[in-house]
Amino acid sequence: MPGPRALLGLGLLVAAARAGGRCGERGWSWGLGWNRERCRCLPRRAMHVPSPGAGPKGLRFLGQEEAQAIDQELFTEYKFSVDQLMELAGLSCATAIAKAYPPSSFTTSQPAVLVVCGPGNNGGDGLVCARHLKMFGYQPTVYYPKRSSKPLFEGLTTQCNKMDIPFLPEFPAEAEFIDELYGLVVDAIFGFSFTGAVREPFGSILSTLERVTVPIASIDIPSGWDVEKGKADGLQPDMLISLTAPKKAAMHFTGRYHFLGGRFVPPALQEKYSLNLPEYPGTDCVLQLT
Amino acid sequence: MGWEGPAAWGPNPGPQPRTPTRIPSCSDSIPAVPPGLDPPAPLGSPGTAGSASPGSPRFPRYRRDPGPAGLAFPPGGRWRRPRPLRPRSQAEAEAMEKELLEDYRFGRQQLIEMCGHACAVAVTKAFPLRSLRRRQPTLLVACGPAQNGAVGLVCARHLRSFDYEPTIFYPKRSPDPLHRDFTTQCEKMDIPFLSYLPTEVQLINDAYNAVVDAVLGAEGTQGTEGTEPCAAILATLRHVRIPIVSLDVPSGWLPGPAGGSGDISPDVLVSLAAPKEVARRFRGRRHFLAGRFVPEELRRKFGLSPPEYPGSDCVVAL
Repeated sequence: MPGPRALLGLGLLVAAARAGGRCGERGWSWGLGWNRERCRCLPRRAMHVPSPGAGPKGLRFLGQEEAQAIDQELFTEYKFSVDQLMELAGLSCATAIAKAYPPSSFTTSQPAVLVVCGPGNNGGDGLVCARHLKMFGYQPTVYYPKRSSKPLFEGLTTQCNKMDIPFLPEFPAEAEFIDELYGLVVDAIFGFSFTGAVREPFGSILSTLERVTVPIASIDIPSGWDVEKGKADGLQPDMLISLTAPKKAAMHFTGRYHFLGGRFVPPALQEKYSLNLPEYPGTDCVLQLT
Repeated sequence: MGWEGPAAWGPNPGPQPRTPTRIPSCSDSIPAVPPGLDPPAPLGSPGTAGSASPGSPRFPRYRRDPGPAGLAFPPGGRWRRPRPLRPRSQAEAEAMEKELLEDYRFGRQQLIEMCGHACAVAVTKAFPLRSLRRRQPTLLVACGPAQNGAVGLVCARHLRSFDYEPTIFYPKRSPDPLHRDFTTQCEKMDIPFLSYLPTEVQLINDAYNAVVDAVLGAEGTQGTEGTEPCAAILATLRHVRIPIVSLDVPSGWLPGPAGGSGDISPDVLVSLAAPKEVARRFRGRRHFLAGRFVPEELRRKFGLSPPEYPGSDCVVAL
């Protein structure tokens, strides 16, 4: 109807332009003058070569610098805050864990989960994840040896404390202790910014984790892995939750569950980096890739 | 994998059947307690939240006589299970928020993000994509100048990522940098912002499937709704014929047993953290609670019994 559309401004002009149906690819943009033909984006798809061993058709696996660039853009251009994205990321991780390892599937008497948090943002994701796991009925315990003094992290720690999530004073010395007490370990030690050698105490933590037999769920990157090349003799998690988009290291992932989380990437950004993210189901904040 | 699963996609499955156990009294002013039951536990005592009521737990404590308008059955409407949560006064709601911010050290942005996300999920449950009348899943999101408006902005952004097509009307922008960031995020998601709201209601009815009312929150119940442009928005919303989803409180509703004749009539209400006092008068189709983020200790302290959230959902239908 031309009448109301003419009056109701930009939103309806765009709606009229797309009246023929939505573009199939998730990365379409709303801008004025973006006609349906261009929306098909076929030439663009042909331009980039899918990485070997990639998941769903055309899904891009990011290098470390690209991942950092996207992150930066989300904060500087799109004005997201770390709090916001960390909350959504942590929620994604907890939701993925709930899908793959429901509380009823635990062989321990309680659905006990050990969350090991590193010093940076990956650790923050772990703290948020622990809080949501508690709300979903799990019994998380956190080990957070190197705490950031930034207010965000202090806030997240307080939230966990106030929700009666215990913080271990020291890491279990033996892998067998972990196997006995917990049904799952969440690895939130290092993320996509990790470079160089692993500093203590995380070196010994990782060697212990490499020997546990209960499943390990890694947030974004299995800790200790090179973000692009992986690490054949390193941690072998059962689950990987890639945030925003999978990184190249995920191509070396051999565990059972690979989820995509962090459902906050604006379509324009997806388009810019040709992420080719598959459609998330419904309102879920996670998507199972394998 | 055996998980009950979050949002079922498709036609609205309706309220989940639940056994009416562990339901404390709906209102302080419930008079006689049915024989055989103990009186309701006082507010904040450990017995109220999460545990079976003393005496026979099988019979929810609701009154059969109409009583004040707040608890009357909707005429000709479906019988609903009595609401298990006592509506909060403005003072209690503020105290709870203060505690979340100061004691629990939640960030304000965090809370608004969680609330907005939960509201968006509730909207998708009330109006699943496939159930919408129009070919395009358009929604109008009317945002006021205060926190309720910020929740509306976050809600619009999440609705956009859920493949709806929200359009925002945000006439009086808050100078708060936090709210400005939310606005930028929406703009960058290519969500259009209307420059004015037509007073011709038919245009709204024709263009959108539903309206999300994020004009005034609990602060609006203090009677400040007369300030422009909120008053003008509400005047228009009173006459729309498409469903309205109100976030936290129907904008402009003042506390009291009887509503004003000029009140808007939302179809869906999404209460944040806990239902507010004015929610007693709500007569619409669906009432959701978005409160999963409230820590258990805080719920106990304020006498909120924990509703059963399905799966990993952040909202529950009351």
